[in-house]
Amino acid sequence: MAAPLPEPTTALASTLATAAPPPLPSLITSRRLRSQRLGRALRLWIPAGFLILMLALCFLWPLVYQLPSPTNGNIIQASEPPFSPGHWLGTDQVGVDIFSQIVYGGQEAFEVSVAATLIGIAIGATIGVVAGYFGGWVDAVLSRILDILLAFPALVLALAISEGLGPSKLHLIWALSFFSIPFVGRIARGSTIVLRSAPFMTAARLAGTRGWRIIVRHVLPSIIPAIVTVSLLGVGIVIIVEGALDFLGYGIPPPNPSWGSMIAQGQTVLTAQPEYVLIPSLFLLVTVVALNMLGDALRERWGVQ
Amino acid sequence: MSEALLDVEDLRVAFAVGGREVRAVDGVSFTVSPGDTLAIIGESGSGKTVSCRALMGLLPTGTHISGSARLRGSELIGLSDSELRRYRGSDMAMVFQDPARSLNPTIRVGEQIAEAIRTHHKVSKREANTQAVELLRLVRIPAAERRFHEYPHQLSGGMRQRVMIAIALACRPKLLFADEATTALDVTTQAQIMELLLELQQELDMALIMISHDLGLAASYADEVIVMYAGKIVEQAPAAQLFGVGGAVRMRYTRALLDAIPHLERPAHTQLPIVSGRPPDPTALPPGCSFAPRCRYAEDDCRDKMPALAEHAPGHRWACWHPCEEGGAA
Amino acid sequence: MALVQQIQLQGGPGARDRARRAAGSPALRMVGRRLLAAIPVLFGVTLLTYAVFSALPNDTAQAVLGLRASPAQVAALNHTLGLDQPFWVRYGRWLGGVLHGNLGTSLEGQSVNSELATHLPVTLELLAYALVVSLLLAIIVAALAARRPNGIIDRLSLVVSMLGLSAAPYAFAFLLIIVFAVKLGWFPVVSGSLGSSPASWFKALTLPAASIGFPLFAVYTRILRADMVEQMQREDYIVTAKAKGVAPWRVLIKHALRNSMFTLITVVGLNLGTLVGAVAIIETVFSVPGIGNDLLTGISNHDVPLVEGIVLVFALITVLGNLLADLLYAVLDPRIRYGSSTS
Repeated sequence: MAAPLPEPTTALASTLATAAPPPLPSLITSRRLRSQRLGRALRLWIPAGFLILMLALCFLWPLVYQLPSPTNGNIIQASEPPFSPGHWLGTDQVGVDIFSQIVYGGQEAFEVSVAATLIGIAIGATIGVVAGYFGGWVDAVLSRILDILLAFPALVLALAISEGLGPSKLHLIWALSFFSIPFVGRIARGSTIVLRSAPFMTAARLAGTRGWRIIVRHVLPSIIPAIVTVSLLGVGIVIIVEGALDFLGYGIPPPNPSWGSMIAQGQTVLTAQPEYVLIPSLFLLVTVVALNMLGDALRERWGVQ
Repeated sequence: MSEALLDVEDLRVAFAVGGREVRAVDGVSFTVSPGDTLAIIGESGSGKTVSCRALMGLLPTGTHISGSARLRGSELIGLSDSELRRYRGSDMAMVFQDPARSLNPTIRVGEQIAEAIRTHHKVSKREANTQAVELLRLVRIPAAERRFHEYPHQLSGGMRQRVMIAIALACRPKLLFADEATTALDVTTQAQIMELLLELQQELDMALIMISHDLGLAASYADEVIVMYAGKIVEQAPAAQLFGVGGAVRMRYTRALLDAIPHLERPAHTQLPIVSGRPPDPTALPPGCSFAPRCRYAEDDCRDKMPALAEHAPGHRWACWHPCEEGGAA
Repeated sequence: MALVQQIQLQGGPGARDRARRAAGSPALRMVGRRLLAAIPVLFGVTLLTYAVFSALPNDTAQAVLGLRASPAQVAALNHTLGLDQPFWVRYGRWLGGVLHGNLGTSLEGQSVNSELATHLPVTLELLAYALVVSLLLAIIVAALAARRPNGIIDRLSLVVSMLGLSAAPYAFAFLLIIVFAVKLGWFPVVSGSLGSSPASWFKALTLPAASIGFPLFAVYTRILRADMVEQMQREDYIVTAKAKGVAPWRVLIKHALRNSMFTLITVVGLNLGTLVGAVAIIETVFSVPGIGNDLLTGISNHDVPLVEGIVLVFALITVLGNLLADLLYAVLDPRIRYGSSTS
């Protein structure tokens, strides 16, 4: 891009014009751009990698390595500190290994929250898309239902079910899916409404494509990025709520391990041995942070609002 | 010869977009005397807006600005933001293109004018408000006291632009930039606003720099015209010399712009001689004349060497290896 | 807006009407409409709660009388309590009572009204404390962050808000207890009662409010910061303000922050609904005598009238919160208040 030095070939040329002075040397580098790209990639892959690690830990590791039982403990080995032989994170007051409680508790946390979120997506997206696509009184009614679900204290529902029918994983999943439905429903509805006026939708309609086809082949693919990012955040929220239920004793029935119940048990020795509360809390925190970060990074990547 | 109000020398503005350097303004020099009207004409991306915003200090941080720009002798380039702020809004001011978006929708218009006053003068709120009402009258808004309390969305487009002018004039600047100030308005309002600007220019002895893509505007209202392309000045002359009788446009680009304006006298059903192609990608400027790829008269030396801007006729500068013949096209 | 996590997740009864607002409908009509829309929601919520409880196996009478009660005694108590009626009859009766201002009698024998009267103020105070402090802090931090995007304070605020969004309130509560109550001893571990002096009030409610407020602070900061940065970078009126020569801080506060308040109000209103669960748990952890605590006790006792009453209150708070947000929006946004052009 450098301009050539002036070479007056003829006297006339030199009187008419001379070449422009040399251009400004480049003072702004692409260093910042590279660091931006790097940052963006890190923000995506570090949480993703962490989640993969966590999932591997919770689901694959027990298959490979025989962990001590997460439910039964040897009272003789109670209250061992972390890094004791055979008990990587120590044992709790009744001798149950903490690490395996974390691992199996993590299994349950992921299973319940992913299942609940998936159900929530299935039902919520259906309601949302139908409401957004058809509009009119269909929309009015369905939106009302979403509002009610939103205002409904899901905690009450979960507790009531758990209390009345007895705590179980299945009940927990159903109760928590109630929680996820309105979130996803709103997003789906919003996106569908925006899409409805998009030109390609009109084109599809004019081409004679039937309603359901349009929804499945055009609307759904377009709203998938929004739904995925919301779901990641949703899973994080459900994990926290599920932990709350476990904490209150209305979640996974003891003696099955769960992070929430670990925190509840640790409550009694909070002053003396805070690690019983801190360890599950830390895993909880880091897992949800990873989910949130991943959701943010994907949102950034896919340009979802 | 009166002392120059604004003396710009070799202004260069560069910033990084997507890791690549964009030289938005590449060596621009001009002078404005008190009371002058200068029109800077160019397409989008020519650098006309960027150069004026650079002078006002309104470009984002991280933009590299070099060269010299002296406002009444004081150097503007290289000042820190807090130093430049003393001139901004008081000695030099700017009116923007879209008054709907350029006014804060949640603050009353009177308050927005008063803010401009209070930023530079230590006066009481009441005093500033009184002056603001006066300014509303100055820009010929009827029922000024009532309008003072209204919000931007309650005013029409033309009135909003008048408010913008009032804001710009709040501290009686000696230099006013009008950045496409009438582009967003309908033709009638456009004329009204231009007339207003010229009247105020007279009343306040103010220099006006009009930035536009509209040659017609320049022809009607400007004393001096600068044509910019791809960050450089390609032609500069008094308006009379360019557009008046016996005047001639020399640089091919300016000629092309003029030719592209539809005239009533044109024979019917002939193709409008538009300029084909688009302005060059600022990160990949061609060697040689930037306009060469689009110029019908481009020759090899146009593509190889960049023509420098030089004063080939008294008061008339252009940068072209093969300019138009005097007195006409081709 | 870059990140609208909770605001998206909590679309709320107001979101839809936002679009209609742009058409400039008068504020009052909108308020009336919102109120009308709120009623079926309240109905639905309470009905749903009743239905859920009725669907579950009901051994309340049994629990009250004890295991050794005979079936006849259980049946008799059931009859007295009206528990053998079909659920819509019971709901109807309860609803009738509500419309007369009477929320019924709890299983413990006390009037629900009086239970609420003693405990509701505590919860409201706790909520107010958490909301106000988190709002103020969020505004300050977001302004500092937006002043220099990607600066130190900005990056720090993003990290802290990520933590706040991801932290489980109950886990955070324990962290606070460990640090502030156990190690430093500034606050009591349990807040049995609020005491009579302002000092004791603060001592009792600070840690619970912080537990509830931290996630709130995180959401508010994030949204506010994103909104302000977006304005500073994209809005033309910011350029105008700078062109006037206004100092950067003033531009941020007077122009950007002012406009961001609208978004903030909306978010605060929408977020009120999420607080129910958090309040219940935090009150339990800290033994705060509020209605959240009562809710949990009521559920475990299968005390339907009490639970219904509290659910109604929480639903009311959620709905009123949204309504208030809409109202404030209408009152403060001059585009709505003053309608369209008058020229």
